[in-house]
Amino acid sequence: MALDFSFTEEHEFFRQTVRDAVNRLIMPRVKELDEKEEFPWDLWKEFAGLGYLGLRHKETYGGMETDTITQMIFYEELARGSCGFAMSAIMQVLMGTYFIARFGNEEIKQRILAPAIKGEKIGTICFTEDQSGSDLGGTRTLASKVEGGWRINGRKQWVTNGPIASFATIMATVDPKLGLKGLNFYLVEKKTENQDGFTVGQRLHKLGSRCSVTGELVLDNVFIPDENFLGEEIGKGVQYAGEILNEVRVMTGMNALAISKESMVDARQYANNRIAFGKPISTYQLIREKFAKYWAWYEASRTFLYRCAWMIQSNIPCTNECMLAKYHSTEMCMYAVEEAMRIYGGNAFCSEYPVQRFWRDAKFLLYGGGTHEVLCDYLGRIYCKD
Amino acid sequence: MEIYVLVKQVPDPEAIVKVKSDLELEIENKYFTSFFDEIAVEAGLKLKEKFGGRVTVLTVDNRRVDALRRGISMGADDAVQIADAALEGSDQFAIARTLSAYLKDKPFDLILTGRQAMDDDAGIVGPAVAECLGIPHVHSIIGFEVDDQKREAKVIREVENGRETLTCPLPALLTCQKGLNKPRIPLVMNVMKAMKAQIKKIDLASLGLGQSDMSPYIKIEKYVPPPKRPPVKMIKEDFPENVRVLVKLLREEAKVI
Repeated sequence: MALDFSFTEEHEFFRQTVRDAVNRLIMPRVKELDEKEEFPWDLWKEFAGLGYLGLRHKETYGGMETDTITQMIFYEELARGSCGFAMSAIMQVLMGTYFIARFGNEEIKQRILAPAIKGEKIGTICFTEDQSGSDLGGTRTLASKVEGGWRINGRKQWVTNGPIASFATIMATVDPKLGLKGLNFYLVEKKTENQDGFTVGQRLHKLGSRCSVTGELVLDNVFIPDENFLGEEIGKGVQYAGEILNEVRVMTGMNALAISKESMVDARQYANNRIAFGKPISTYQLIREKFAKYWAWYEASRTFLYRCAWMIQSNIPCTNECMLAKYHSTEMCMYAVEEAMRIYGGNAFCSEYPVQRFWRDAKFLLYGGGTHEVLCDYLGRIYCKD
Repeated sequence: MEIYVLVKQVPDPEAIVKVKSDLELEIENKYFTSFFDEIAVEAGLKLKEKFGGRVTVLTVDNRRVDALRRGISMGADDAVQIADAALEGSDQFAIARTLSAYLKDKPFDLILTGRQAMDDDAGIVGPAVAECLGIPHVHSIIGFEVDDQKREAKVIREVENGRETLTCPLPALLTCQKGLNKPRIPLVMNVMKAMKAQIKKIDLASLGLGQSDMSPYIKIEKYVPPPKRPPVKMIKEDFPENVRVLVKLLREEAKVI
């Protein structure tokens, strides 16, 4: 029996446990979190206290070293609550701490990673600039080698957790002319001795995912010691980034699954209760078709995403699969939230119903892990080569 | 203190339940630990934190052990599943006989459980276990304190129009009601421990029980689904005639006024 699509009893139990935590801590506050547009420190402390921020990391630093499937279940269930809160938490679990765990020396891991797992320090990763995002080769933030360390100069945009981060993994180039070959990761800490120049720039007011604070970080001649260079070799930053891109893409897909399901389950309830022309609108064929299409695409996305998670866990190369799964699931989610808005009719246009929040939150998923335009251009090129 | 908590995995309130035949239900595969049992686990853990000792979660279930894993993830020390083919079709009294057969030789100070399981809402197993063991029991408690020196529990329970405070000697069985505490959310470290935990499995023979001990007192005669919601009736008349029609319908058809 080579094919087995079932979750283990342990995975099911883990899902149920995360679901329960989300139901009790996050669900009662989703509207408030969206409307306030502030980072919920109280929720963060309570959630971090449960230990979920260490899912990927070693037990030595307070982590759990769970398998990829378990992590993906966590991402899926967390996004079912508040997409914004999920973005902040996932940044801490995955991208914001990965390179510190991978390349940081023991002292850095004890100083930064261990408190980050407890939620005491907040981390982030910075790729995007005004002229670079999916096009990483356009990075202009400059890292210059100096005696005993590096000087970093530049501005990073669209930084999730940026305005509240106590440390950041910064992608910078040693020479903009080198393009992708000049890129590296550097650890920058806020308000530590001799590191003036690392400040928060403009905070962004977003369409969705509003309780994860996002903004600009400014690096004005910031000095960092040699040990804050996160890598083994200069110029390998893109290669290192590739190590987690598969996970980031599948994680984004998991968020898409969760948001799409929440929106369509909600829309189903509305359609079953909303009477038009004497009958619930769910009895009309044009409405039913929306649910049928969604259901088919959702099941396909979910199977594809968990297959990718299994491939990552099994160390099977799956870059293209993860791109395809991210693209498919996020587009499925766009369909779901759009159709849910239509099912709600005019009621979708007011904040009394949650459907508009699902629609706004979902849009955030279009960009992380590569815009769909960039992904499709690449995937189409690869496909046509064969 | 040596504490045992009786727990049960029940269908999630959101699970779809259909009547499959007169004697069989079709239940969607969505289960969770009965909420009242979680309150009981929390109460046991609080006592352990205060007095030391052990908390053991115990269930009678041939298939599901998630309620036990839930107990471990909350902080219970041990978990025991009693499972046996002869338990199929048994009633709450047979379950109580089984549990008490396991507990009778154990050196327990207190047995806690939910006031009722959230599926059948019978509320039989807890009191029946106490009867089988010949120990005092207080039902549906919303507060309690244990005096370890005096070997007694001071218990508060809700009664009509008020509260009642009782004392009872230990060992005793208490069934827990909403309001007693707020069950903790498990730490992920304990969740991992629970995921890997080896659950002790015990059959009826090792308890000295057999098929004949499982004959039910209560037999299900028939499952009947609730009546379907009647169709929506739209009142087409304009105001104020629509109000008259509505009042007439409420009085004569719905008979609610």
